[in-house]
Amino acid sequence: MAFDVGTPINTALLLFILYSVQKIVFPSTSLPKEIPHEFRNGYSWLPKSHQPTVLFKTYTPKTLAPFHGKDNGRILLAINGTVFDVTAGRNFYGPNGMYGNFAGRDASKGMAKQSFDLDMLTPIDQPLDKLTDLQPDEIDNMKGWVEHFSNKYIVCGKLVENDAA
Amino acid sequence: MAFSITDLLVTDDLTILLGLIAGTVFLLRTFYRPQPLVHPILLGRQSEVAKVRNPGESAVYRNYGTGLMNRFPLRPHKDVHVLSDLVRSDLEAPRTLWSTKITNAALQDRVASFGTGLLRLANLQTQESNVLLLLNDCIEFLIADLALSSHSIPSMTLAASNLLSPVLDTHPPSAIITHAEFLPTLLELIYDAGEEGRHHTIVVVGEPSSRVMASVASKVKVLLWTDIEREGFKDPKIMSPLPKPSDVFSVSFFADSDGHVQGTQITHTNITAGVAAIHALFPVSALLSSLDTIVSSHSLGGTYGRAIAYVAIFEGTSFATTESSKLFRVDEVTVKQDVADVLSAQLHTIPSATILFLKPAHVDALVDAILREAKKSLVLNAFAWRHKSASISEGFVSKDTLWDRLVYDAARANVIGEGAGTVRTVIVGEGSLSANLLTPARVALSCPIIHTLTHPTVVGPAFALHALDLQDFSTAEEDPTKSFAPVGPPTVSIEAKLLGVDDSAVEDGADPIGTLVVRGPPVTKQLSGEDLESSSGYVNVRTGESASSGNADDDDGWLNLGFKIRVLTNGSFRVVA
Repeated sequence: MAFDVGTPINTALLLFILYSVQKIVFPSTSLPKEIPHEFRNGYSWLPKSHQPTVLFKTYTPKTLAPFHGKDNGRILLAINGTVFDVTAGRNFYGPNGMYGNFAGRDASKGMAKQSFDLDMLTPIDQPLDKLTDLQPDEIDNMKGWVEHFSNKYIVCGKLVENDAA
Repeated sequence: MAFSITDLLVTDDLTILLGLIAGTVFLLRTFYRPQPLVHPILLGRQSEVAKVRNPGESAVYRNYGTGLMNRFPLRPHKDVHVLSDLVRSDLEAPRTLWSTKITNAALQDRVASFGTGLLRLANLQTQESNVLLLLNDCIEFLIADLALSSHSIPSMTLAASNLLSPVLDTHPPSAIITHAEFLPTLLELIYDAGEEGRHHTIVVVGEPSSRVMASVASKVKVLLWTDIEREGFKDPKIMSPLPKPSDVFSVSFFADSDGHVQGTQITHTNITAGVAAIHALFPVSALLSSLDTIVSSHSLGGTYGRAIAYVAIFEGTSFATTESSKLFRVDEVTVKQDVADVLSAQLHTIPSATILFLKPAHVDALVDAILREAKKSLVLNAFAWRHKSASISEGFVSKDTLWDRLVYDAARANVIGEGAGTVRTVIVGEGSLSANLLTPARVALSCPIIHTLTHPTVVGPAFALHALDLQDFSTAEEDPTKSFAPVGPPTVSIEAKLLGVDDSAVEDGADPIGTLVVRGPPVTKQLSGEDLESSSGYVNVRTGESASSGNADDDDGWLNLGFKIRVLTNGSFRVVA
């Protein structure tokens, strides 16, 4: 047998072996240029962005109204002065949902009286519903809803009068 | 010349040989890579982030293991409610605390005897008196602390010796426990303070010289520790009602960043939560057990050192502290924090140390010494360094590799001594480690280095890296000497947020940077400003300010730790230099 590495296959194999051995004996220790954003690209990696957080804002009826979800945006609704982000419940509170009337509005009276009629909502340019005409058990019902919403959805703001913001 | 395909593809026996070798080498490279100790995907999300944040603040961060909805772990075990429960009677094996080999049952007996004797001889009242512990770290410190807590008498400790005069002025103790060597200095201070009619009771550990005993004034009563233990040994033992977990069992005085004296009240819940937090630092595969030996360089007068000591008690490990943790010295020597200091703990008769709780200066000195020793074998060291840092960058470190056997075991043995092979974890606290020291430290010590963030008002660590985290974020471009190593996510019982955050930058996706505030069971309550006004008019202006001052309490129990911190995208925190 001739020890002939001149043949292309043998040369190729030999080069591959030499390259691999070199990589094993002299592992690379160069620092990366920038921190990788995928764990596949490196052990010391950092995700590209932070976990999304919502800034707690103060809303008025006018600034809350655009968040009705008809444009596939966020859906917000307010109960008892607390604004909830109910985008996750688009099925219920979206434009075609059962409770879609509440999107972008103050739903306190509706929650208290357990009704989804449009006459539960006060128009945007009028002062907020003071809820003085509610019975104690309706107030309790509303507070129960606030609790339910706080557990299920994100509390992302508070609702104040149009001129108070 | 025309080569035909068959000419190019000519194969012979050599090809087969080379092919086999190539195949073996390829498989070796692909499958023999070191597996990371923890999968990097887990390190991409280390804290649980709240969904909402207030303007000017960051969201609330908690440890990913705890989660946002769960309650914080308050105790390491469901039966541990107060301090004395940390001495578990079901552990029967003896272990060595400093130089005393003792079982838990014997420790409880000594604690009961000392408590009874102290109540009888020193006329202390439960819940009325308080006792100042002017002791260096020794078993008497722990016995006194446990005894006093079981009788609901708060103990007072100092984190530095220069706090003694201010504390004596503002919080005169009913009794003082100190070492025999320190007695003359203490008597001098008492006479200088010169309060007429104030009776002092001093309990002395050790044998004071007769000359010193003769100089004791009539108003001062000096008792010997051994006498008290002997008196208490006689039955009947005085039993006091069990303290409630929310009772304060100790007050630790420390100097804050402005130099003012602050006091912080440690309750039983604080210490059990701190012990749970330290217990959670260790991965399930490598938990603390009674086979371990803990060496700590943090003095027991501070909250962090105390938490470490009680972890050692709870887990049944042997325990000793280094020379630099001694606060009360008769000579004026300041012990340097270096390798000799680390080794000083081994002078006690403890078994070889397995877990080291050190300060960054110690780690710096140790790593420097070990790497210098390793460099003595030039060629091998070049290879060893290369291979070890390459495997660390893949997430793997171990003491059993070829390179350890060739180079690093010998280097460690020359520096640390025969005990070098047993160190399995190093935990760095009470200071910030520089970022460029992380990988060299992991190479030199070949074990996980857990960097923590501590503060005198938090019992135990506030933030700690994942135990098996070997990430190093140095890149070729930034200068690593300028930044500190990341400290990881909040520990299992802490929640944290940042104040003073730039909202627009964060909405754009930048890292939040601000002042750190924390909340949780291990966070202690500080003494308010009025309590710290001394008779000489040295007033602390501390109450009422929020983010501007160093250590003020916020509303809702958030405590400002005074660090400027940045949050990385994986939920890890990093102190801004």
